[in-house]
Amino acid sequence: MVGFDFKDLSAEAIRFGLAAKDFSARELAEAALERVASVDEQVNAFLQVTPDAALAAAEAVDAAVASGNLDTLGPLAGVPVAFKDNMNLLGTRTTCGSRMLETYKSAYTATCVQRILDAGGLPMGKLNMDEFAFGSSTETSAFGTTKNPWDLERVPGGSSGGSAAAVASGMVPITLGSDTGGSIRQPASFCGVVGVKPTYGLVSRYGVVAFGSSLDQVGPFARTVRDAALALNALVGHDPLDCTSQPCATDFTANLDEGVEGMRIGVVPEFMTAQGLEPEVGEAVLGAIEKLAALGAEIVEIELPNAAAAMSAYYVIGPCEAFSNLSRFDSVRYGYRDPGHADLGSQYEASRSAGFGPEARRRIMLGSYLLSAGVYDTYYYPAQQVRTLITDDYRMAFGECDCILAPTSPRTAFKFGEISDPTTMHLSDIFTISINIAGNGGMSMPLGLGSDSGLPVSAQLICPWFKDENMLRVAAALEREYGTAPIAPAFTDAVASCDTQSVSFGEASRNEVRHSFPDESAASTAETLADFGGPASLSGMEGE
Amino acid sequence: MASHVTERDVRRIAEYTRIGLTDDELPQMTEDLNNIIESLKPITEYDLEGVEPPFHPIGDLSNVMRDDVEGTSFTQEEALANAPAVQDGSFLIPSILGGGDA
Repeated sequence: MVGFDFKDLSAEAIRFGLAAKDFSARELAEAALERVASVDEQVNAFLQVTPDAALAAAEAVDAAVASGNLDTLGPLAGVPVAFKDNMNLLGTRTTCGSRMLETYKSAYTATCVQRILDAGGLPMGKLNMDEFAFGSSTETSAFGTTKNPWDLERVPGGSSGGSAAAVASGMVPITLGSDTGGSIRQPASFCGVVGVKPTYGLVSRYGVVAFGSSLDQVGPFARTVRDAALALNALVGHDPLDCTSQPCATDFTANLDEGVEGMRIGVVPEFMTAQGLEPEVGEAVLGAIEKLAALGAEIVEIELPNAAAAMSAYYVIGPCEAFSNLSRFDSVRYGYRDPGHADLGSQYEASRSAGFGPEARRRIMLGSYLLSAGVYDTYYYPAQQVRTLITDDYRMAFGECDCILAPTSPRTAFKFGEISDPTTMHLSDIFTISINIAGNGGMSMPLGLGSDSGLPVSAQLICPWFKDENMLRVAAALEREYGTAPIAPAFTDAVASCDTQSVSFGEASRNEVRHSFPDESAASTAETLADFGGPASLSGMEGE
Repeated sequence: MASHVTERDVRRIAEYTRIGLTDDELPQMTEDLNNIIESLKPITEYDLEGVEPPFHPIGDLSNVMRDDVEGTSFTQEEALANAPAVQDGSFLIPSILGGGDA
């Protein structure tokens, strides 16, 4: 029995409450485990829960608090964190949502996971994903679908669907995901949480199972921009084990309160009239542009003339790199082995056929075809040339603006099975893919609920290379306008044993505790929701 | 429907990528691949004369290499821990020159 409502605590509030001894890290770990136990039956975000690892990490944090030396407490001390299941954590299973790795046990820990642990985070477990991150709905996972906490009949997006759903349902305040073409930003949008894909090279990928090595990047999900920034602070910087990772000395929380006055926000007119962009999403993004203008930002129209080619460039480059990366699954060193074969060749074929699902098989075969003699010059080489054009487009655009604002996804979350055609599914990443092609940072920022669907809609913020602080600053300004991203309404009822507020918070931490919607912005939030046709009264949103 | 690959091509790709495809699965895979390849058409229609492909996703950045010094790595036991079959400290596989894989 603990005296705080765990699900409402931001990472920032947790760090504060620990220092003020309002609760212990052990209590936090237990509250998170309890929350997962009561919620995940419906959401199915977790593939594996790791209570022993969480409690051991909590013990170390509590020892630091007991020693009285609060300076040794990491910035994420006591914060329950969970990881997409393509990230290795020593001793856990790392399945990538695939039969191929169903029994694979991590022999080492990924750098991104280690950095969260070094910052004091409590490892709660591993999260569901599209198989090998091939997908935009988490429906290709071999271990069942994850449900969107806003509507359990809908997908959470993907491929990091488990990471988004776990945060949106208030199971943990921070999760990690990976993004190759939109796999952090699109599920963040579908689930109404903050999701950041940092600039390529900002975060080490060592220990993260590779999909498209020139595109993959790791980043955080959170309900507040500050929590995402705190996680980013822990994650970034050079790692000798990933030669693409770059040194970084930025404090991503430093300019969150500065506002957007004088900032130049780029808008791409073609994006706002793109075919397939649902009116409610366009409306919401235009609303955000107006708000930023009212806050003193300068809105600049920019051109990305080659953006339309990004989709086809991505579906050339991505599968080619995936084909190469997935050749390591040979049924010999690790991974699924189909039993009873008398020769190696038939063992390879049977194991890779049974171990990989249909989307993985399609992408591997497509990549192989695209790299074959003759075909290479028709598709792969031009795709790389197009990559240069797209990169130059963004470079030019960022001569005129500090941050671009666009839709994240053309639509809100769709229903399970609603999109079965692979090429149509690929279109859900139409606004996110070009950013991976160019290597820029991008993030999804919740803008309330869509006027038609009543489901979360988001804006995407895009920054120049290694200027990720720019987009976080704009996101923080939007957050002040729209309110903190709420926990999905079906999951705002507190777990019974965590529901009592009988123990009062310390004076300092009380101000830091962030509820779904801060009181001071309740009026503007209500207005926003009304604008978007969401619940007219806040009571529907805030937890009864 | 434009045909970029035939069922025979797809069979060859499957063999090359070591992905066993049954005869029942072949037509659907062929159709899926043709649909996806057709959707890549825009990439073939650009005027790309003189455009250099990038060598690193981010402009002039290059990889940050570590010094070439020996470090610790997995023990033999750790390296073999996930292997489906092991014998005498090695990965165990069926015959390479067995039947059917000539």
